[in-house]
Amino acid sequence: MRIMIRELQTDVLVIGGGIAGAFAAYKARQSGARVLLVDRSYFGRSGCSALASGVYPSYMPGDKEEDWVQGLGAGPLVNQRLLVKSLPVMYEHLMTMDRWGVKWLKEGQHIARMGAPGRTFKNGAWMTEGGPQMMMGVRAGVLQSGVEVLNRMAVTELLTSDGNLPTEGEIIGAIGFHVRTGDIYVIQAKATIMCTGPYKFPYPWPGSTLGYMPIDLSGDGIAMMLRAGAQLSRLELGGINLNPDYLLCAPGLEALMPSGAKYVNKDGRRFLEDYDPKRMEMTSRALLYFAIAHQKEMGNIPSMDLRTIPSERLELLRKVIPIILSNFEGLGLDVSREPVPYSYQVAGTAGIFGAGARITDRGETTLRGLYAAGVCSDLAYLPGGHLSFCSVTGHWAGEAAGQYASRTEATRLVARQVEAAIAAIEAPLKRTDGLNYEPVHRGLGELLMRTVGLVLHADRLNEALEKLFEIRADQVSRLKARDYHELAKVWGLWQYCQVLEATLRAYLYRTESRVAFIREDFPVIDNINWVRMVVVERQDETLKLWDEPIPESFHLVPVRPTQHLHLVFRERISSHALG
Amino acid sequence: MPWVEINKAACTGCGVCVETCPTDVLRLDTELKAFAVYEADCQGCFICQWDCAFEAIIVRIRSHQPGES
Repeated sequence: MRIMIRELQTDVLVIGGGIAGAFAAYKARQSGARVLLVDRSYFGRSGCSALASGVYPSYMPGDKEEDWVQGLGAGPLVNQRLLVKSLPVMYEHLMTMDRWGVKWLKEGQHIARMGAPGRTFKNGAWMTEGGPQMMMGVRAGVLQSGVEVLNRMAVTELLTSDGNLPTEGEIIGAIGFHVRTGDIYVIQAKATIMCTGPYKFPYPWPGSTLGYMPIDLSGDGIAMMLRAGAQLSRLELGGINLNPDYLLCAPGLEALMPSGAKYVNKDGRRFLEDYDPKRMEMTSRALLYFAIAHQKEMGNIPSMDLRTIPSERLELLRKVIPIILSNFEGLGLDVSREPVPYSYQVAGTAGIFGAGARITDRGETTLRGLYAAGVCSDLAYLPGGHLSFCSVTGHWAGEAAGQYASRTEATRLVARQVEAAIAAIEAPLKRTDGLNYEPVHRGLGELLMRTVGLVLHADRLNEALEKLFEIRADQVSRLKARDYHELAKVWGLWQYCQVLEATLRAYLYRTESRVAFIREDFPVIDNINWVRMVVVERQDETLKLWDEPIPESFHLVPVRPTQHLHLVFRERISSHALG
Repeated sequence: MPWVEINKAACTGCGVCVETCPTDVLRLDTELKAFAVYEADCQGCFICQWDCAFEAIIVRIRSHQPGES
């Protein structure tokens, strides 16, 4: 195979075309920069934003800031001050998207406010035709602003001014390949913004033919930033990947729960009363997902009862969250007759609540020339992976990157780094006697399913790390690719293995439990010793981890210095689960 | 598991599904009809079904029960 090498130049390179990348590109373009957005799939259809749960939480004029802080930002690891600063930006985005043709549920002329799990007040705008329509509207607006797009481009490495990884210089672009033509693109950029979303690794759970990682959610951007020397944080708090029983994707709980859907177990009991008797199904998103997966692990067959939802609301939901209801119909389940089994199960390590590059409130990483936004970053400790916080961090990163590019000259690429990166891209294609992708991926998934679950323990995490090193050295590095599509998967798995090592190390480092991060060996939520962030940085060939205090400036509501047992370990639940 | 059913009579070969499939499952075959060449990578997101203006693609899902292979 003869590979074509194409060289491109731009002011700002945006990697990833979800809502963070879209707003990053738009804001950078508004600053006058030439902007190129590259996407491993298709801008407007890739990743998580297009499959969003139909809800964009947004501030509106007249809202009380303290409602937002209490309702969404109450955790001690939340930058509450930044949350307040993000509020008007969310509203600006809501109005921008409305102008771009995104269809919102309205009451008269005004966008309606809807409730959602974990909120003390109604703050969600609903998309009347779901995430797919939202992202196509966003795509249209971004393209109209003059952003250039290159689809099906899998970026493999960041390029640095000194040619080294990790670098002591700055980030000056990126390199990758087209997943259909195989052409290699060498992109020189004054500023680069990483917006590659979360990493989700579905385990091959017993009895399922599912369990293959979609090629667009392997944490590539996070791995590239780590290799380049950027500090990462929040890896341990990014959440556990929970998949619905039947599918690799099907969001929707954010719209179903406030519509009146109830969760029951096989005995018809509403099990949320064991977890959060006050808020029940309207508990926090993290706890809701956890409770469902937890019941599933205990064999209680969590089912969703939609019969209490009024029929006109159900009709609306068919448009707001079409995927989930199409699933039920596709499975021959009649939601109007009986509760339908719908459970989330532990399906992997994940960064869905924001886990990745440590960023400032301007989207700056710890490397010059490199910015990050959305859930491949730590979201600057905004409350989590909602669409709004992804778009807002994209906005900040786009503005800052545009300004940086305007006062920066293009830096010459280092030939030996480009040559090495091209050789690395091609290697799996040339490895004709290499290993096949499927069994290696499955083997890694089975290891993780056994060792990393909803409830973590140092012994199992250490075993996972040890085996990960073996699998990475003996198998992943020997994978072959029979075509460019498979090459993207091989690269995804290789990148994922690096993010996984950093994540497992961060899991081990935080010796407490907190929300959906649960350590059997450290069952206490520790607001005395652990109001801290864990930072991971690659130094030469090893990862270095340390912790830093969450700055007091984050908090508008003082943190109470308490220690208490995570509710999972309280008697009522643990007698079922862990005994 | 998800998979896609393509109604070849209805498919016009416009290629929209090939362009937009998030996980790169689809291509056009030699008769210029959509074809799920990488079906194992289908994530069941229904994007192709929505994007098809000719109702030529249906995403199917098979549920699995514990113990079923």
